Amino acid sequence: MPSAPSRAPRPLAYWVIPQLPTADPLPMDEETETYLELYLDQCAVQDDFVPPRSPLFSPVVPYVYTPNPSNPETTFNSHLESKETSGNFSSVDLSFLPDELTQENKDQAVIRSKHETEENSETQSQQSRLPLPSGQDVGPGSDSSSLSNSRSHLHPGDANSIQSAPAKPNCNSSPLASITPMTPMTPVSECCGIVPQLQNIVSTVNLACKLDLKKIALHAKNAEYNPKRFAAVIMRIREPRTTALIFSSGKMVCTGAKSEEQSRLAARKYARVVQKLGFPARFLDFKIQNMVGSCDVRFSIRLEGLVLTHQQFSSYEPELFPGLIYRMVKPRIVLLIFVSGKVVLTGAKERSEIYEAFENIYPILKGFRKA
Amino acid sequence: MPGGGRCPDCGSTELVEDSHYSQSQLVCSDCGCVVTEGVLTTTFSDEGNLREVTYSRSTGENEQVSRSEQRGLRRVRDLCRVLQLPPTFEDTAVAYYQKAYRHSGIRAARLQKKEVLVGCCVLITCRQRNWPLTMGTICTLLYADLDVFSGTYMQLVKLLGLDVPSLCLAELVKTYCSSFKLFQASPSVPAKYVEDKEKMLSRTLQLVELADETWLVTGRHPLPVITAAAFLAWQSLQPSYRLSCSLARFCKSANVDLPHPASSRLQELLAVLLRMAKQLAWLQVLKLDKRSVVKHIGDLLQHRHTLVRAAFQDGMGKRPRICPTPTVSTVTGDENISDSEIEQYLRTPQEIRDFQRAQAAGQAATSVPNPP
Repeated sequence: MPSAPSRAPRPLAYWVIPQLPTADPLPMDEETETYLELYLDQCAVQDDFVPPRSPLFSPVVPYVYTPNPSNPETTFNSHLESKETSGNFSSVDLSFLPDELTQENKDQAVIRSKHETEENSETQSQQSRLPLPSGQDVGPGSDSSSLSNSRSHLHPGDANSIQSAPAKPNCNSSPLASITPMTPMTPVSECCGIVPQLQNIVSTVNLACKLDLKKIALHAKNAEYNPKRFAAVIMRIREPRTTALIFSSGKMVCTGAKSEEQSRLAARKYARVVQKLGFPARFLDFKIQNMVGSCDVRFSIRLEGLVLTHQQFSSYEPELFPGLIYRMVKPRIVLLIFVSGKVVLTGAKERSEIYEAFENIYPILKGFRKA
Repeated sequence: MPGGGRCPDCGSTELVEDSHYSQSQLVCSDCGCVVTEGVLTTTFSDEGNLREVTYSRSTGENEQVSRSEQRGLRRVRDLCRVLQLPPTFEDTAVAYYQKAYRHSGIRAARLQKKEVLVGCCVLITCRQRNWPLTMGTICTLLYADLDVFSGTYMQLVKLLGLDVPSLCLAELVKTYCSSFKLFQASPSVPAKYVEDKEKMLSRTLQLVELADETWLVTGRHPLPVITAAAFLAWQSLQPSYRLSCSLARFCKSANVDLPHPASSRLQELLAVLLRMAKQLAWLQVLKLDKRSVVKHIGDLLQHRHTLVRAAFQDGMGKRPRICPTPTVSTVTGDENISDSEIEQYLRTPQEIRDFQRAQAAGQAATSVPNPP
C-alpha cells in the first residue's frame, strides 16, 4: 500500500535519532551536549567529514549524565549494572531483557551493546545527560527540556553507590573504542529514559482434549458459561490476575497478564484447574499472540503536524477518535499517540518489538513537541 | 489420415483434413474433391455441452453495472445535490464509489454498509477539495451510526490507498457561523442579539486560531470549539446586553444544536483568555474573572500573539509529574503450582449439589406461569 514516504527520516540504523528538530530550544551550555550537536556529530561521522568536535566524543551516545565527573570510568561501569546500583540509572528498567539470560550474560550483553554504541561517552571532559523523567514540566513551549531537568532526579546518595560498583569481569573498559557504530544486540533505550510498560499480554495454548464446558462451569467457582452469548467458559484466577476463554475443542486464550512469564504461569494454572476437574489436559503450543505496552513521553504533541508529514503511516480523525493511529512498518506495530504525550503500542509478538517501535517513534514525536 | 475414407471421385484413400475459412473439411489429396464439409454447430447441439455457472463466477459481474451499484451511484448523486456541492464533486464521488465497488469485500457487504459507503465517498471528495463537511452531518443525513460510518470510512481509505487531508478549520468556521440565524431580527432573536455577520465571523476565526495555538483543538472534535468561540465572539461584540445570555440560550436563538463538549471548551477558552489578560498591565489591576474578561476580548485578540507568547512561555498544561516506578516482577513462568491454590477455585461436592439445586429452583421459578 503506502510507498516509502517522501520526507522519510534518513535510513540510519534504528537506534540513531533520524529526525532533526528544526528549532533548537536548549540553551547551549559548555558542559553539555545538545541534542542538535549530537545529531550533527553522528551525521558528520556518517558523511566522513571531519567532525567539528573532539574525536573523543562519541557521536552516538546522546545523554548519559554523570553527576561525578571525576570518575567517568566508574560511572560507565555503574551504567552497565542492571539492577545492583541505585545510581543515576535506577529508574532505567532493564527487566525487558530476556529472562533466559543469566545475570552474567545479561551484563555481558549490556556491556557489548554499550561498547558498540557508547564508545567515547565517558571521557574526562564530557558530561552528558540522561533525560530521565523528572519532576519538571516539559510541556509545549518549554525551553527546559528533559535534559536540563534530569539533575533533579538523581539521588544525592548515589555518589557512594557509584564508587562501589563491582568490577565487571567482562568489561574491557576502554571507553575510547572505535568510532564505527554497530547495531546493539539488546535495545537499551538510549534516546530517553522512558521505557514502555507492558499492560496486557494475550496468549493461546492447546489443552489437547475435548472439554465438557457445562461440567467445568458446574465444578469451578471462577467460571462463567453462557452458551447463548458465547460458546466458551470464561474463567478467572486471582494470581496472576488474568482471564481465560476455554473452548470445548480444548483451545484456550489467556488475557490480562502483564508479562510473558506471568501469562505462561497463568495459562499453566488454568490448565491445572482443568486437569483437576478430570480432563486429560496437556500444555501444548503456548504462544504469545499480542502484547500491549504504554508510556508517556511527557510533552504535548502536535498531532496535526505529525499526520501531515507521516501521512502514509498515520491516521488522525479528531471527529472519530482523539488519538492518532500510527501504523509502523518496521516493526509492525500500531501506535496510538495522544496529544497529552501518552503512547499506546500494540500488535507485538515480542517485547523487543515494542521497545524498538518506541525507539523509532520517540525522535519523530520530539519533532512535533511545542516549539 | 483418417481411416476408412475413400474419395467418391477417384477412390483414393488419401483424405486430408483441411480447413477452409476455419471450417474443417475432408479433402482428397489426389483430385481435390471435398469429401465432407465441417458441420456448422447448432446451438441445440452445443447446448448439450453447456453447464450451469453461478453469476458470481461468470464474467457477467464485470460486464454490467449491478442494480445495487446503480442504486448506490444514484444515492451518491442525490447526496451531492442535497448538500449543494459544486457539480465537479459529483463526478469524483461517483468515481470513488465505482472504484470501491471493484473490490469484492465491498460488493458482498451488507446494504447498510453500502449505504454508509455513499456517505464516505462524498466525504472524501469534500475533504480533498477543502469543503468543510463533517461526519456528523453525513451521519445525520444518512441516518447512520457514527460507529458504522467510522469503520467503513477507515476501511475505504485503506482499500483505495487514499490520502485524505484533515478538515479545514477556517472553512468550517465560515460555513458553520454562516448557519447561525443571528444576522437578522426575528421573533426568536431580539434586536440586541442581532449581529453583523462579517464582524462575528472574523472574531470567531481569531478565537478559533487562539484555541488552536493553545492546544484546545488538537485531539478534540472541532465543532464544539467553534461553537464556544462563536458564542464568545458574539458576546464580546456587545457585552452589556449579551453577558446575561447563556451558551444554551445563544444556540437556541441562533437555531443551532448545542454540542455537549461546547461548555467545557468555553471554560477552557475563558481560562486561556484570563491567562492572557494577566499579561496586560491595565487589565491586571481590574482583577478579571470569567465574566468580565469577555468585555476585553477585543483588546486581547488584538495583541494575542505577544500575549500568548508571554502567558505560555513556561509551558502550558502542566501535568502532575508522577513517575510510576516500573514494577519489576520476578515471575519465571515455570514456578510450581500448589494444589491448594488450584483447589481454591473448585467447588466442593456439597457446593455442587447446592448450586445444582439452586439452578433447578431458579429455572422452575422462571418457567412457572404467573398466577392470574
